[in-house]
Amino acid sequence: MKNKIIRSIFIVPVILYSLLLIALPIIYVLIISFYKNDSYGGMIRTFTLENYMSIFNSVYIGIFLKSFLIAVITMFICMIISYPFALAVSHKNAKTQSIFMTLVMVPFLTNSLIRMYGWIVLLRKNGVINQVLLSLNIIKNPLNLMYNNLGIVIGMVYTLLPFMILPLYSSISTIDYRLLEASSDLGANKWKTFTKVILPITFPALFNGGLMVFTPALGFFFIVDLLGGGKIMILGNLIKNQFLTARNWPFGAAIAILLIIITYILIMIYRKIGGKMDDLGA
Amino acid sequence: MRNNKLLDNIVIISVFIFLFLPIFVLILFSFNTSELNIIFEGFTLHWYKDLFYNRSLLEALINTLLVALSSTIISTIIGTISAYGLYKYDFKGKKIINELLYIPIVIPEIVLGISLLSIYTLMKMELGMFTLILAHITFSIPFVIVSVRSSLTSMDPNLEQAASDLGADSLTTFFRVILPSLVPGILSGAELAFSLSLDDVVISYFTAGPGSNTLPLHIYSIIKTGVTPDVNALISLMLLTIFIVLTISMVISLRKIKGDER
Amino acid sequence: MKRKIILLLLFIFLLCGCTKEDKKVLNVLNWSSYIPDEVIRQFEKENNIKVNYSTYSSNEELLAKISSSKEGTYDLIFPSDYMIEIMINRKMLEEIDVTKLTNYNNLNRQYLGLPFDTDNKYSLPFLYATVVLAVNRDYIKDDITSYKDLINTKYKNDIVLIDDQRFVIGMSLLANGYSMNSTNNEELRIAQKWLEKLKPNIKAYDSDCPKNFLITEEAYIGYIWDAEAKLAKMENDSIEIIKPKEGIGISLDNYAIPKGAKNIEEAYKFIDYILDADIMHQILEGYPYNSVNIATDLKYKDDIMYSSKYIGTDYDNNSKYFVENIGSSIKNYDILWAEIK
Repeated sequence: MKNKIIRSIFIVPVILYSLLLIALPIIYVLIISFYKNDSYGGMIRTFTLENYMSIFNSVYIGIFLKSFLIAVITMFICMIISYPFALAVSHKNAKTQSIFMTLVMVPFLTNSLIRMYGWIVLLRKNGVINQVLLSLNIIKNPLNLMYNNLGIVIGMVYTLLPFMILPLYSSISTIDYRLLEASSDLGANKWKTFTKVILPITFPALFNGGLMVFTPALGFFFIVDLLGGGKIMILGNLIKNQFLTARNWPFGAAIAILLIIITYILIMIYRKIGGKMDDLGA
Repeated sequence: MRNNKLLDNIVIISVFIFLFLPIFVLILFSFNTSELNIIFEGFTLHWYKDLFYNRSLLEALINTLLVALSSTIISTIIGTISAYGLYKYDFKGKKIINELLYIPIVIPEIVLGISLLSIYTLMKMELGMFTLILAHITFSIPFVIVSVRSSLTSMDPNLEQAASDLGADSLTTFFRVILPSLVPGILSGAELAFSLSLDDVVISYFTAGPGSNTLPLHIYSIIKTGVTPDVNALISLMLLTIFIVLTISMVISLRKIKGDER
Repeated sequence: MKRKIILLLLFIFLLCGCTKEDKKVLNVLNWSSYIPDEVIRQFEKENNIKVNYSTYSSNEELLAKISSSKEGTYDLIFPSDYMIEIMINRKMLEEIDVTKLTNYNNLNRQYLGLPFDTDNKYSLPFLYATVVLAVNRDYIKDDITSYKDLINTKYKNDIVLIDDQRFVIGMSLLANGYSMNSTNNEELRIAQKWLEKLKPNIKAYDSDCPKNFLITEEAYIGYIWDAEAKLAKMENDSIEIIKPKEGIGISLDNYAIPKGAKNIEEAYKFIDYILDADIMHQILEGYPYNSVNIATDLKYKDDIMYSSKYIGTDYDNNSKYFVENIGSSIKNYDILWAEIK
């Protein structure tokens, strides 16, 4: 009897939590996505696939493509920055490595909006970067660095970079150096060592990083709002608008469900290639 | 393997410039006499003084800390208990529960945000401090569980056996034997929960109501309506705190690494 | 490794503590950049009421916030003309009892009894805003007398617009000679074509603080709220305020109390406070919109804000258009808006 009570102390909270605060809200969103939107902004409780059909409206297809493009570009830039960086750090001694990896995290202990504001100050027409370039006579007219796609990608890369650096670094730092030595002893050049040895070993970590960069990049509406000047929309803005201005919850819910499906497909691939779920949270 | 040291250093330095440039600029402008954050006109400290008279900013700061603190404490407790429960006991549907727990970690925050908003509306709950804290607890718990679980799996399985052989009941075993060995995992989980809560914009955006304006939300609205340098001053002070704490902890952990090397 | 940080931070924050005393509260939901912070602080101090002040940036956002939050979440809101009509139709507003307002007679009768709420049963005017063009004459030398002048390939990336679908689509309709509230599909199609031509010239959409784009010279032309234009002009005198010949949009914003409001007494206190001639003047100094308060007008008629400099160059022969409730045709506007953005 007593053991039973103890047992329920340990398992009841997690069951309640995951059913009430995770499953229930998402199931409810799923249900809403089949409701109909009335012209007053309320919901009619019926069953319709209309919301999913209207995703294929040309306007929304455009927004989808744009979000995917921004997310993919962000992901690739993060990879291109993180790989050399993680490799370079792993060449240092233990003490330096630890200092560097802590330093990587420092900007991210401040608020993400504050950092975005920092970028606004840097990127705008008479911002710091343009002023420096102008005064050095490198450019004649100020560059358009923000209020366009470029600004958004800079903001996304900046915000999401650590999610790529951390898994890559922890994977690279566990590579046995004798392996790399063996590879170069066998006459492999650096590029070959990278593609044949390092890349396969770090692939799950790379995918982990890619996942943790790609899916948030679809949803970060505030980066797009602040650096895109309100004229560019990604999926996150679309969902936000449906819920907070256009008041078409069913349609917003349908897009959210689509995002869940996309995420889930990526997770399945991640598991297929041997990634561990717990690594995603660390 | 021969490494090109120069190339390594160039890579590292350029990444750090990228990472610190926006922050450095904000700190610089917090000492600027001009209000517009455009050209550095002269040195002043008066924004730091203004900061203490900016009531909405301070109120938002207090709200943020309140939410972060309470959601961290609650999610750490629930998370720790849950991680142990999932580790020790088998029950029907455990697999599903385990899958559900990954959802807040992997789905885009906006999906969680609107899901919670929808359910709050369905339940006719008034948006405010309570809904905000509940939302923060929701997204924090899985991170705590993952972190505690990694401590659990690296724990010596004989430890628990030994305790129960010595006649301790499960509760005593948990508090006297298991819990102490989980401390590192619990703390890093709490730390994660705390920093996630401090920084959250997206989920708070949907789940906060009147009177529960947090710092990120407040900053979001003032970035849209024009930032005055007292916000820069706040940022600089926050950074200063972080730097001090980091340096202390870095010194401690470096000592540890040195010890390990020996 | 960073766990020490956490412990330390936790400790510091515990020290900060949370001292929250029980006080009367008032939950205000208002447009961003509308009432200066000081006015709210003064009100709080004088009446010992804590004001929770939240903001929105379009009428549609306000409607969404009110209908998705529980009744009684907000006590005082500031919907514009057509939104009052929509909210009355949906029974979202409480009736207003003017006998509770000692300063009621300060209101300019001209703005009472308008078509959206003929007896002012549910709303009282707060102030009105117009949407004007603001042009930086250091960079833009051409004549600008019409919205059509904005379609000029020279102005690539130079224009900032308010992020408000009714006024932006309305501008396009006006530019093409139609009614600002047209529901005719053919006219809307032409309006969309026009906006697509304008698109390359648009730097950003911003309702919250478009003046910053002009002050920092990020943009040289703005289609923005008049107060924003005036504030920009105060910072940068080369900005000219222009009212194009097709006429301009106007928006009368009102006090309204949402259904189920819990702090109605406090809401009246706040309204009465703002109706005071001096307080209204203080608000207009912070955000120079247009007064509907006759006491303020009389007392401060020599104020700089009333000078012709800030009224701007007027080509519109005083034709001002309200946004009207267009019922379910709003869906066509929604789609058009998504397509041009």
